[in-house]
Amino acid sequence: MSAPGFRSVFMVASCAGAALSCYLVSLNVASERAALEDVETKIVLAQRDIRLLQTEIGTRGRLAQLERWNVKVLALSAPSADQFLEGGFQLARLGRPEPKLNVEAPVVLASAPAPNPQPAPLEEGERRTAGAGATASSAAQLMQQASLKVQVREPMQLAEPIARPEPPKAQPVAAKPVAKKAPTPAKIAAEKLEKASAPKPGKPAPANFAKAPETKPAGADKKAGDKKLALAAKPMTKSVRTAKVDPLAPLPASANSKKTTGNSGTAR
Amino acid sequence: MNAPTSALVAPRPERLRLVGQRRQILTMMHQRLMFGLLVYAGVVALIVMRILYLAAFGDHAGAKQGVTSLVPERGDIVDRDGQPLARTIDAWTIGLWPSKVIGNKLEIARKLAQLMPEHDEAGYLAMLRSKKSFFYLRRRAAPGLVEAVNAIGEPGLAIEREPDRLYPQTSLAAHVIGYTDVDGKGTAGIERAMDEKLSDPATRGQPVQLSISTKVQQALEHELLDAMTHFSAVGAAGIVMDIHSGEVLAMTSLPQLNPNAAGKGSMEARFNRATLGVYELGSTFKPFTVAMAMDSGVVRSMGQIYNCPNQLNVYGRTINDTHPFNRACTVAEIMKESSNIGTAQIAAQLGATRQKEFLRKMGFLDPVAIELREKGRTLSPGNNWGPLETMTVGYGHGIAVTPLHLASGYAALFNGGLYRPATLLKVGRKHAAAKGHRVFSEGTSYKMRSLLRLVVTKGTGKKADAPGYRVGGKTGSAEKYHNRSLLVTTFAGVFPMDEPRYVVVVMLDEPKATAETYGFRTAGWNVAPVVSKTVSRIAPMLGVRPDKNREPNMSEVLPYVHEKTEH
Repeated sequence: MSAPGFRSVFMVASCAGAALSCYLVSLNVASERAALEDVETKIVLAQRDIRLLQTEIGTRGRLAQLERWNVKVLALSAPSADQFLEGGFQLARLGRPEPKLNVEAPVVLASAPAPNPQPAPLEEGERRTAGAGATASSAAQLMQQASLKVQVREPMQLAEPIARPEPPKAQPVAAKPVAKKAPTPAKIAAEKLEKASAPKPGKPAPANFAKAPETKPAGADKKAGDKKLALAAKPMTKSVRTAKVDPLAPLPASANSKKTTGNSGTAR
Repeated sequence: MNAPTSALVAPRPERLRLVGQRRQILTMMHQRLMFGLLVYAGVVALIVMRILYLAAFGDHAGAKQGVTSLVPERGDIVDRDGQPLARTIDAWTIGLWPSKVIGNKLEIARKLAQLMPEHDEAGYLAMLRSKKSFFYLRRRAAPGLVEAVNAIGEPGLAIEREPDRLYPQTSLAAHVIGYTDVDGKGTAGIERAMDEKLSDPATRGQPVQLSISTKVQQALEHELLDAMTHFSAVGAAGIVMDIHSGEVLAMTSLPQLNPNAAGKGSMEARFNRATLGVYELGSTFKPFTVAMAMDSGVVRSMGQIYNCPNQLNVYGRTINDTHPFNRACTVAEIMKESSNIGTAQIAAQLGATRQKEFLRKMGFLDPVAIELREKGRTLSPGNNWGPLETMTVGYGHGIAVTPLHLASGYAALFNGGLYRPATLLKVGRKHAAAKGHRVFSEGTSYKMRSLLRLVVTKGTGKKADAPGYRVGGKTGSAEKYHNRSLLVTTFAGVFPMDEPRYVVVVMLDEPKATAETYGFRTAGWNVAPVVSKTVSRIAPMLGVRPDKNREPNMSEVLPYVHEKTEH
C-alpha cells in the first residue's frame, strides 16, 4: 500500500524537482544575461564619454586654432621642393662637403705640430737620447735643408717681396712646414731683412716675431748638430720639392708660395 | 428538507408551479456560477500564460532600456579621413514656465538678469508675468551657468538636456556642411541635402562621409582668407577637386560663416559663392575654346597663326587686349599672353553650334552637378547666341557660371577629356564614382597640358608656380557686369601637369590694387600667388612628390613662342 501510495508523492516531488532545476537554469541564464547587459551598458556609456571627450578635444584643437598658433608662435611652413629626396643616393650626396674638410686638415696638422714641440724638447734636454728626438728632429731638418738649398736663389726672390708692400701674412712659424720649401727661405729672408730695416707696415703682433727668432736659432743649432740625419733625409724632400715648386718660374712661385702659406696660416 | 415531503404530499397546483420556478432559478444560478467560474478560470489562465510567456521570452526585471545603443539623434558628418565635421551632443537648455513660478518674481528676475545679461531685469520680469506657457532663456548653456540657475531653486525654471548640433571645426567648410535650424532640420549645405539620411533612425547610426579633406580645406581657406583681407576683396571662393573621381577635396566661400551660430552670420557670409554665385570668369575659358577648336579640327597645331592687331572691330564692338601683339601670333602665344583677340577669332571659326554643344556636354549650361541644393543658374546668351556672342563666350565674357562649373570643366579637360560630375561624398566602396562621358579627345587633353604649363612658366600666371609641383593653369580677370570698374579675378590651375591629378580654382571678388602689385589687380597679381601657396601646402599631403626635373612635354608649344615679346 505504501509503495503505490508514495509513488504519486515521488512523482510530484520529482516533477517539482525537475521544474525547480529548470527554473534555476533559466534564472542563472537570466542573471548572466543581466550581467552581460550591464557590461554592454558600461561599454556604451564609456563610448559616449569617449565621443564626448573626442568632440571636446577636437573642438579645442580645431585646425583654425592650430593655424592661429602656427602663425603667431611656431611659424612652420610647407616644405620646399628641395627638402624632398628621391632616395638613399640623394641623401648620401648631401654628405659630400665633409671629405673636403678632411683633405685640408692633414695639411694643417702636418705643418702645425712639427714646429711647436720642437723647441721645447730641444731646450729641455738636448743631450737626451738621440732616439727620443729623432722623429722631431728629422722633421725639423727637412725644412732647414730646404732653406739652405734655396738660399742660392735668394737674391732673385728677395727683390720682389721687398718691392711689394705686402708683408708676410702668416706667422713665421707656419712658414716652416716640410712640404713647402720654396716659400720658407724667401720669407725668412724677407723677414730678416724687414726686421733689420725698420718697423713694418701691417705687421702682425710683435710677439710673433719674437717667437720667430727663437725658433730659428733652435733650428740652426740642430742644423749644426744633426747634419748626417739631414743628409739621409734629403732625397725624399727633394723629390717632393721638385714636383711642387721647381717647375714654376720664380715670379709665380713666390706668389703661389704666399698664397699657400697664407692658407695654411688661416687654416691654423 | 422540504423536497421529500413535497414529493409525498400531493402538491397543490400553486406549489407545483413554485417548484418549477425554484428549479428554473436553481439551474439559472448554476449556469451563472459556472459562468463566473469560467471567467475566473480564464482570467487566472491568462495571467498564468502571461507569466509563462514573460518567463520564456520577456526581459528580466533588471533590464535597462535606452542606453544599449549609441545612435545619435542626428547622424554625424565626417571628412574623408573620419575627422568629425558635425556632431550631435547633449546640450543644456534653460527654459521658463511662467505658470509654475512660485518664488518672488522680482528677485528671480534680478538674479536672471545678473546671470544672463541678454535681457535686463524688466525683460525677465515681463516674461515671468506673461501668460505664455514657455520661454527659452538659453540654449546650449555652459555648465557653470546651469549650476547657477539651478541654485536659484525655482521650479518654474526648467533645466533640460537637449540634443544640439555642434560643428567642432567651426567655420571650416561651413558652406559645404551647412547648418540646421533650432529643431535640428537641415537648412543648408549637406545638412539640407542629406537631411533624410541624417535624421532617419535606420541610417543615422552611420556617419555621412564627405570627400572633403579638412587639412586641404584649412590650407585653402587660410591662404584665401589671407589674400582676401590683403586685397580688400568683398568675397572669395576656392575649390580643390580630384580630376579622376570628381571628388571635391575642399570647397570654401568667404567671408567666413560659423555654422554653430549661423543666424548671426550676414547674408553675404551665408551665401555660397562656390556653387550658388555665378560670375563671368573671363580668360579662364580660353583653354576650353582652344580645346574645342582642336577637337573640331579648327586648330591643328599650337603653331597655327592668327592675326592679332591692337584692336579687333567685329559686329559693332571692339575687342581689346591687355598685352596687344600687333602682329601675327601662334595659338601658344595667344594662350600665353591671354589674348582676347586671338581667342575670339578661334571661337568665331568654331561657331556657335559646336561651342554650345561642348559647353552643354561639360554641364556649363545646366545648374552645376553636386549634392548641394544651393546651385546657381548659368547666365548665358541663350537665344541670342550669335557670332559676336560666340566670340565673347570664347574668352569668357557674356557667360556667367559658378566656380564649381569651372573646376568640373577643367577636371574634364585634363581627365583625358572625360567629364565626371562633381561629388561631395567620398568615392569608395559605399559610393561609386559617377559615370562619366567624353567631351574632348584624349589627344586634345594631352596637348593642353603643355599649353597651360606654358602660361605658368612664361605667361600671365608666373606667380602661380609652386617650384617642383608643375602647376599649370590660366588666369582670368573679368569686369563685373553691374560696375565695369570692379573685377572678379580667377585662377584655374592643375597640378602636377605631367600627370594631372588635382584642379585648384581660386576666385577673388572685387580685389583692390596694393602697393606691391604696382597698382595691378588682375588675376596674375592677386589670386595666382594663392594657388602657389596653397599647392605647396596641400601637394605633399595629397601625395604629390615635388620634382624639379619633371615637366610636361613642352616641345609641343615652346617652338611656337616668340621670345622677343617683353612684358
